[in-house]
Amino acid sequence: MPAYRNVLWWYVQRITGALLVVLLTLHFWVEHFMSKTLMRGDLTYAVILSRISNPVWQAIDIGFLLVALVHGLNGLRNIVLDYSRVGPRVAQAITVALVAVGLVWSWWGIEAFSKL
Amino acid sequence: MRPATATAAVRKYRWQFSGMVAHVIQRVTGLLLLVYLFLHVHTIRQLSEGPVAFDQALSVFKNPLFRLLEITLLGTVILHALNGIRLTLIDLGVGHARQRQIFWAWSIGLGVLVFLAGAIPLFLASVLRV
Repeated sequence: MPAYRNVLWWYVQRITGALLVVLLTLHFWVEHFMSKTLMRGDLTYAVILSRISNPVWQAIDIGFLLVALVHGLNGLRNIVLDYSRVGPRVAQAITVALVAVGLVWSWWGIEAFSKL
Repeated sequence: MRPATATAAVRKYRWQFSGMVAHVIQRVTGLLLLVYLFLHVHTIRQLSEGPVAFDQALSVFKNPLFRLLEITLLGTVILHALNGIRLTLIDLGVGHARQRQIFWAWSIGLGVLVFLAGAIPLFLASVLRV
């Protein structure tokens, strides 16, 4: 893989990381800290549905999942390629496999909203 | 170049030791969070089974053990996030000479403070039910 692409992915990892700090803080606040009920961990279908029936929240949650998957799977790719000694073709195959995992996982997550 | 005194050698070793610990922490917590994301999406998908099935699925997570694990998750996220910010600054050449101190003060020190600020109220409310 050309060096510039690795630099590009370095930036992608940092930008998605920064986004995740914001999104995760919001997520923890909204799901665990915002009210006494949530702090007690008494989440229910009704509580969650009242939030995610709003399309804006659905868009935020889907974006959140995609950003998390890019960051998580790219991190996994870094780990796998760092601890293995493979040539460029195998590295590329690993990358393609992780992209495929990411696409299936994205669909698997987004689909949860389609049947509400 | 610094003369190869014993002190310099120890300092260099410690510097590398903190860097190595931080590096391994980042990878282990990262993998744990990826595994958690899978379980999380799996649970959220139960929403499509309707209110009864979903609340049934959630009831598994309402025992004290899972609530403690949830608090552990908060700690894992905080550690990964703060350490990630620190690693980015190191990569950008910021704080290179003080990376060991920054690791302990920022990733661990600030991490523990932020974690306790979230974990204590959560523990009181969700585990002790006060």
